Amino acid sequence: MTTTDTVVFDRVTKKYGDVRAVDEVSLTLRPGETVALLGPNGAGKSTTLDLLLGLKRPDSGTVTLLGTSPREAIVAGRVGAMLQSGGLMGEVTVAELVRFACGLHPRPHPVSEVLARAGLTAIAGRRADKLSGGQAQRVRFALATAGDSDLIVLDEPTTGMDVTARRAFWATMRDQADQGRTVLFATHYLEEADAIADRVLVLHRGRLLADGTATEIKASTGMRRVSFDLPGGTHDGTSVALDEAALRRLPAVTAVTVSPGGTVRMRSSDADATVHALYGLGVYPRNLEVAGLGLEQAFVALTETDDPTGTGARTGTEEAVPA
Amino acid sequence: MNGLIRLEILRVLRNRKFQFFSVLYPSLLFLLIAGTADSTGPLDGTDGLTLPAYLMVSMASFGALTAVLMGNSERIAKERENGWVRQLRLTPLPGRGYVLAKTAAAAVGALPAIVLVFVVAAVVKDVRLDAWQWLALTAAIWAGSLVFAALGVAIGYAATGDAVRPITMIVYFGLSLLGGLWMPSTTFPGWLQDVAAWLPTHAYAALGRAIEQHHAPGVQDVTVLLAFFVLFTGGAAWLYRKDTLKA
Repeated sequence: MTTTDTVVFDRVTKKYGDVRAVDEVSLTLRPGETVALLGPNGAGKSTTLDLLLGLKRPDSGTVTLLGTSPREAIVAGRVGAMLQSGGLMGEVTVAELVRFACGLHPRPHPVSEVLARAGLTAIAGRRADKLSGGQAQRVRFALATAGDSDLIVLDEPTTGMDVTARRAFWATMRDQADQGRTVLFATHYLEEADAIADRVLVLHRGRLLADGTATEIKASTGMRRVSFDLPGGTHDGTSVALDEAALRRLPAVTAVTVSPGGTVRMRSSDADATVHALYGLGVYPRNLEVAGLGLEQAFVALTETDDPTGTGARTGTEEAVPA
Repeated sequence: MNGLIRLEILRVLRNRKFQFFSVLYPSLLFLLIAGTADSTGPLDGTDGLTLPAYLMVSMASFGALTAVLMGNSERIAKERENGWVRQLRLTPLPGRGYVLAKTAAAAVGALPAIVLVFVVAAVVKDVRLDAWQWLALTAAIWAGSLVFAALGVAIGYAATGDAVRPITMIVYFGLSLLGGLWMPSTTFPGWLQDVAAWLPTHAYAALGRAIEQHHAPGVQDVTVLLAFFVLFTGGAAWLYRKDTLKA
């Protein structure tokens, strides 16, 4: 642990009554990293960000930002943050609000530049409380990037943005990271985490379940994806009775789905054994594919494994992974 | 900090509804009440003040009260709820900056309310005072409004966005009516007069009236106002800290 680390959590715990919203989390973020914070609803993402930004105090453990306390780092203008539901001021225009944010920052960027980067130039004269969800998100982003900060924290930044706006947003963010800033974002969109983050943190039930690159996390589950088309395209007309129950009995299989078109998708902890047994059934699977898990599937596998009953995580995860 | 004060003042000036209730409404009420009454003779129990002179102080105080109380309580509660207060805590703005900017903006809104009542009273109802009295009155009513600005902050931090309007209204009407801002408290039954004498609004208006009567302000009135100022400021600070820890 050195003072040059951007964020250091040292065994941080935050309780609400008996619930441990954040449970003994330790992590270190370094300059220039783009880090995604993933987790089902209620995993502790928002609490983690609140602790990081000094909006909440930990019950135990310490949070250090850029070698100082969160509040000191914010006062020094070294942190720009965008909250999920940060309300905007009424009766003022977008430009007035951005000018105000620039005025507060010790090392501000020019107002016009901040407006342009957030894609707000065309709506700079509009009232800040009369914007669409995506436009309001862009204003919050402008407030978070009003000056030269070392750390940018974003909670669900692209919620309410359409695909084009989202793409433009991440291009801007990558630009920020390229300039040596640390970018930490919480998201529900796993494809965003996969495409943008150098590093992914998976939170579940307040604990840090995984910390690594997206590739490492996908591999860490030890799971593979096995998929193939059933002979003849459907269950009917095949010489071997191959139904879902039979597939589930194959060794190392943990999940099976059969699409109406006859495509079988399985998750296996030992793909070699599974495929071998599949041939052993006398089946000739067409278009057989064995591949690593996508981040989304890895995420589901990770959080399910962690959850003894299996139900809590499943519902949470479904909400967390919009189609 | 200055940036926020500037923005908050802009917002007050742009809010038409707020302008109507804090700036125009007290003057209209003054005309309505003073216009129908016999305005030449001195009013009972007021040490020789005419009704317009008496009412002028009441309505100027009422206007200032409206501006600072409503301006602070409702906006703070709403902005706490919609997350703007949290957003501000992620900027280098000092923690008290938000409350100070709100209060400064409310005070800017209160000044025209006070002055307009004076102008209307002088022009329409021929209220005549010495130059120093006009200045002292303006200063006293303006400074005294800080007591209610602090109350507004306290309510803003205590109430939720849904509850803040009814709570503010009850406090506002209760204080205005019982403090004798709408009708002289000398018309109240004896026991109610005893209660009213201890209300901050009563002391507030008495301060202005003492100036009209060439008196020094009463010790009890000044003490009551100061006590409420300490109470409201302390309460607001305590609620603010509680809210900040919760956030």
